Amino acid sequence: MGRIILLLLSVLSAGFSGAQTPIETGRYLATAADCVACHTSSNGRPFVGGRPFHTPFGILYSTNITPDKKTGIGHYTLQDFAASMRRGVGLHGNLYPAMPYTSYYRITDDDIAALYAYFMQLPAVEYVAPKNDLLFPANLRFGLKAWNLAFFDRQPVSEIAGKSPEWQRGNYLVNALGHCGECHTPRNFAFALKRDESLAGNVLEGWDAVDIRPQALQRQGWDRASLRELFRSGASEPGAAFGEMFRVVKHSLSHLSDSDLDAMITYLLDGNETAAEASGDVGGNPGSAADNYPEGRGDFVAYCAACHGREGTGTTIAFAPAMDRNAGVRGENPYNTIAVILRGLPAQRMSRTNARAGMPGFASELSDARVAGLVNFMRTAWGDPGGEVTEDQVAKIREDLRKHGFIGEKK
Amino acid sequence: MAKIPVSMVVNGERVGPVQVDEYTTLLDFLQEYLNLTGTKLGCGIGVCRACTILVEGNDGALEPVRSCINNVGRFNGSSVTTVEGQAQRNSNGEVLALSPVQQAFLRNFSFQCGWCTAGFVNAATALIDDLRRRPVSAGKVEQVIEEALGEHICRCTGYVRYFRAVREVIESTPGLVKEAD
Repeated sequence: MGRIILLLLSVLSAGFSGAQTPIETGRYLATAADCVACHTSSNGRPFVGGRPFHTPFGILYSTNITPDKKTGIGHYTLQDFAASMRRGVGLHGNLYPAMPYTSYYRITDDDIAALYAYFMQLPAVEYVAPKNDLLFPANLRFGLKAWNLAFFDRQPVSEIAGKSPEWQRGNYLVNALGHCGECHTPRNFAFALKRDESLAGNVLEGWDAVDIRPQALQRQGWDRASLRELFRSGASEPGAAFGEMFRVVKHSLSHLSDSDLDAMITYLLDGNETAAEASGDVGGNPGSAADNYPEGRGDFVAYCAACHGREGTGTTIAFAPAMDRNAGVRGENPYNTIAVILRGLPAQRMSRTNARAGMPGFASELSDARVAGLVNFMRTAWGDPGGEVTEDQVAKIREDLRKHGFIGEKK
Repeated sequence: MAKIPVSMVVNGERVGPVQVDEYTTLLDFLQEYLNLTGTKLGCGIGVCRACTILVEGNDGALEPVRSCINNVGRFNGSSVTTVEGQAQRNSNGEVLALSPVQQAFLRNFSFQCGWCTAGFVNAATALIDDLRRRPVSAGKVEQVIEEALGEHICRCTGYVRYFRAVREVIESTPGLVKEAD
């Protein structure tokens, strides 16, 4: 009886003080690390794996990370778990670096232990993902040892001097748990992250995972308030998250605490807290845009204006975001503006009361030259054109999207 | 307000050139300039598909397009079919026979208030047209109906009867279903 009361008391005090059990901490960390996004197939049970990843080397499937002894990680000790998380070494050999151990190696011992505690108490599900379908030589796992030697730069994260504790926490969330660089950092010929171009943007699955370095975010028009809103709801004044980033917001970022989101923003903006227009650097020029790109303006009126507004001011973020000062239109790389026009966007649902309409794609109707004109009009009118978009640029992106099946054949 | 010259073929008839405010949606153009009021404004944001009309592609294939979210400029020079163009008519414009899709919707009591019907008629007609070019196996019929009509919203919830009607047309029209893959 005494023990029960003691237990009760400790549970209560844990609740009152805000302290969490390792399992609760682990659940939060798993959310911050967005494990569920990759380890769940569409409409599948969480964490049982089976989601396909189309890489230049073939198709990889995520694995079952429920504690099933036969098909999951039920046999893993804490040490085994740590080895797979941090070094990509599983019980059955090296993991492919689609598992972001190249980011997770920075996760602290305490957090690894909490994650382990959380995953080991999940319901065990017996499930085997489809076999990977990789090209030679990527299908040979022993090659991964060499890959790790050559490309896995495991320098320890030391605290960066002169930065606030909030910034350090943001660094940890962005680069270790959040593994943002796995999409936002360019990769080399062997698909390894280019460390010297960390977070500089990278095209993946037919979208540009944009440059999210401080100056780039500032140029795109993000500030603390708009980033906070984006991470909470999937959209804010400068634009909306789509593709994989929408899922990141839905499954991970929107569930993080206020202080953790603020820490990430502190790290990402790194002192560049004033949006660019406040500093007078940015300002589109609709008049000169119409003069220089009359066909582009005509196509904007015909194809875009009914939803995105005559002056590009949009019709609510949920339906058609503003193009005027849109982060995509302002960004240095025109890839996403071009890709959205060609492929359109699917409708997306964040929650019962937060959903977004889709957009039709116009790949079969608009030629490369017309897309270029349209993009140049928008960037001149409402963005910050860093050079003119050419017909060839559009042709290359169209070919890339077509090759990977994101748009149909040219009619 | 800047005007642009607009000309297109609507239900087989040449229209224009007429000077139209460049921000006029195709839906407004059909209703206000051509008095074709069969195409309905539902949500006005391209979600419900009530305003769907058909645009003929270069290869003659019919593409369902939402007329509320694009302005007339997109359709300059195009050939457009609205619900008014689906039935067979005589030279006086009198209806001789409804299209097979229209007949099937009536037979199945597919719609009640009728606001979504023009969109369903056009999308189903495009599906039949597509199957004529690229027949599918019997096992795929349900799936192609779902893909063609799944986004169309019907607030009287005639979905089951709409889908059943389209299936009837597909199964009773020779050449739309092939033996096997």
